Amino acid sequence: MKALFTAAAAVYGLMSASAVCAQDITAWVIDGDAEKAYFVQLEEAFNASDAGVTVKLVPIPGYNDAINAATLAGDLPDVIMIDGPNMAAMAWAGTIQPIGDLLDGAVLDDLLPAVRAQGTYGPDEDFYFVSPYDSSVLLWGNRAILESAGIEIPTSIEDAWTAEELGDVLAKLKEQDGIEWPLDVKLNYGAGEWLTYGFSPFIQSAGGDIIDRKTWHADGTINSESNVAVLQTLQDWVNAGYVVPASAGDNKFYGEKTAALSWVGNWMWGAHKEGLGDDLVLIPAPSFGEAGPVSPNGGWGWAVPASTENLDAVGKFLNFAMSTDQVAKYADMTGYIPARASAVPLSARYGEGGEGELFAKQAACCAIVRPVHPAYPVITAAFAGAIDNIMTGTADVKAELDKAAETIDEDIEDNAGYPPFDQ
Amino acid sequence: MSLKSKSRRQQWLMLSPAILGLSLIVILPFFLSIWFSFTDQRLVPRPIPTQVVGFRNYERILTDDEFWQAVGNTVLFAVLVVPFQLAISLGAAMILNSKLRLRAALRTVAILPLLLPMTVIVAIWAVLYRIPNGPFNAVFQLFAGSGNYVDWLGSSSTAMVAIVVLSAWATFPYQMLIYLAGLQDIAEELYEAARIDGATRWQQFWNVTWPGLRNVNIFLLIITTIGALKLFTQIAILTRGGPNGSTTTIIYYLFKEGYQTQKVGFASAVAVMFFLAVTAIALLQRKIFKNEEET
Repeated sequence: MKALFTAAAAVYGLMSASAVCAQDITAWVIDGDAEKAYFVQLEEAFNASDAGVTVKLVPIPGYNDAINAATLAGDLPDVIMIDGPNMAAMAWAGTIQPIGDLLDGAVLDDLLPAVRAQGTYGPDEDFYFVSPYDSSVLLWGNRAILESAGIEIPTSIEDAWTAEELGDVLAKLKEQDGIEWPLDVKLNYGAGEWLTYGFSPFIQSAGGDIIDRKTWHADGTINSESNVAVLQTLQDWVNAGYVVPASAGDNKFYGEKTAALSWVGNWMWGAHKEGLGDDLVLIPAPSFGEAGPVSPNGGWGWAVPASTENLDAVGKFLNFAMSTDQVAKYADMTGYIPARASAVPLSARYGEGGEGELFAKQAACCAIVRPVHPAYPVITAAFAGAIDNIMTGTADVKAELDKAAETIDEDIEDNAGYPPFDQ
Repeated sequence: MSLKSKSRRQQWLMLSPAILGLSLIVILPFFLSIWFSFTDQRLVPRPIPTQVVGFRNYERILTDDEFWQAVGNTVLFAVLVVPFQLAISLGAAMILNSKLRLRAALRTVAILPLLLPMTVIVAIWAVLYRIPNGPFNAVFQLFAGSGNYVDWLGSSSTAMVAIVVLSAWATFPYQMLIYLAGLQDIAEELYEAARIDGATRWQQFWNVTWPGLRNVNIFLLIITTIGALKLFTQIAILTRGGPNGSTTTIIYYLFKEGYQTQKVGFASAVAVMFFLAVTAIALLQRKIFKNEEET
C-alpha cells in the first residue's frame, strides 16, 4: 500500500514538474473535432511567439467530470476552460480567481457586451472568465417556401417580426401545401439547457426575465404577467399546430422541409446549408415587446484556478489566445461568432457582407447573458422544466411558472441567499 | 502460531480484497447516503458549510406533488410491465422449447435484444415512434387512414405504455432464458402421464407446466419487479420525464435533484426512501409466496 502511494506521489511529481518552472504552463482544453485543430494551431503559434513562455494544451474528454474531480483533488492545471454558466458557481466556491488584471484593457474593452457580462462576477464586479467566441440563435428560414406563401422576409434587426406578425406568418405557412408544422423550435432537444438558452430570449424580449438580477428573487419575475403572456402565446402556437413536436425528430426544417422556419443556434449551420443551399435565409430574432429582439449567448472559455501562481506567464498566454487574430481564427475554424468586435471584420463568414453578418450584429446588439449566479443549475432546471411542460400544450402557464419560482427561491433561501449575493 | 489460527489468518487475507472493495463501493456509500439525507450536502464545493437539517429533506419530498407523481408512474410501469414481460417471456420460452425445426436458429435470434446496449435500443425505438410517419404510425395509418397519427411518446396518455412496450421487448430474453431452463427441468414423464389421462394442451399447461415453474416464477417476479422499479435509462434518453411529468420515475426524479440541481442531500433522502420501499416490496412478495407454500 505504501509503495503504491509512493509511486502515485512520484507520478504526480512528474506531472506537476512543469508547473515548478514558472515559464511553462499547462492548460486543459475541451475535446471536440472542430476545436482540436484550433488548439493545435494555438499551441504552436503561442510557443513560436517570443513570449518566453511555453504552453502545453491538453484536450480532456468528459471535461466537466475531470474538472470536478481535479478540483476535489486539488490538482488543477494553470489554466482551464469552463462553460460560461458554470463560472458563477466556481467563483463563488473560490475554485477560480479573478483575471481582470491579467487581461489587457484593449481586450476587455473590445469584447461583445454579453461576452463581457458572462465573464463578470456580480459581488466584486471583477472578471473571472473570458471566451474567445460567442453563440447565438436566430430564425432560419426556407426562402422558397416563405416566398411562395407571399411572406415578406425581414432583413435587419430593426424590422424583425413582432410576435403578432410571426403569428400571422405561421398561420399563413400552416395553410401551405407540404407544410406540416411551420416552426421548429427544437423541442426534440428535450428538457435541458436548450429550453433555458433558447426560450429565455422570448420573455426577455417582452421585458421579462427568469430572475431579478438585483435582488435575486424569482417570484414576481419569472411568473410575471408579461412572461405568462409570452409563454401563453407560444403554447397557443403549439395547440394551433404551428410548432414541430418533440417526437418529430430533428430534420423537419433542413431535411424533409415540412417546416419553413427554425429557431436554433449557429451550430446548425452545416446541416442547414447542406439541406437548403441557397434557399437558406437568416431572419432576426422576433420581438415580443418593449425590449425588441433578444438572442441568447454564451460558450466555453478560459478561467484560472485559484491555485495557479505563475500569473505573469498565464497572462501572456491569455492575451495571446484572446488576440484579435486568434479570436478570428477560432471563429473560422469552429463556426462560432468572434467574441471581439475587432475580430468580426476579419471573419469571412461573420464580417461585412458575409453570410452570417446578421448573426454577428445580433450577438453585438441584442444578446442577454443567462443569470450569472451560483444557483444557476437550479434556476435553469426549474425554468427549463416549466417550458418543457408548457410546450406540451396542456400545462397551465401561470402554475408552471409559480412552481419554478418556488423551487428557485427555496434553493436560494436554503443557501442563506448565496452570500454575498444577498446584499 | 497454531495451524488453526494460521488458516484463519489466510481466510481473512483472501477475503480482504472483496471486503475492502465492498466496503468502499457499497457499504460506505450506503451509510454516507443515509447521513447525507439529513444534511443539505451539495454536489460541488461551496463556501458556506454543509448543515444538518433534520428531516427537512424528507418533509419536502413527501409534500412534493412531483415526487408522488413519480411514485405513481413507477408503480404503474411495474404493474404494466411485469405481467406483460413475463407473459411474452414464457410464451417465447415455450415456443423455443417445442420441437420446432430451426430451433437453434430461433433461440439465437430471440436473445438478440440482450446483445444491444439499452441506449442503442432506445435510439432505434425513438425512430419507430416518430411522428407523423414513423413505422408504428405507418401501421396505425393502415387502420386509421392517412393523415392520422398517434404521438406515442408525446402525449401523456400513451407515453408510459410506449415505454412499457419498448422495455419489455428490450429485456424479455433474459426472463425467457430462465423460463427455458425451468421448462427443461420439468420431467417429460409428467406430460406423458397427463396425455394418457386425456389432458388437453391447455390442461397440461395449467396442471403440469405452471406448477412446475413455481420457483422460477417467484424468482422472476421478484427480480423483474425490482428491475421495473429502477426504470431510468429509457426515460433519461427518450422522454426526460415528460410530457407533463407523465414518465418521471423515482430514479429519474432522484437523478434530476441530485445531478441537475446538485442537491445531493435531498437526492440521498429519495434514495433512502426508495431503498426502504423496494426492500419492503421484496420482503412482502417473499412472505406471500412462503405462506402459500405452507398451505
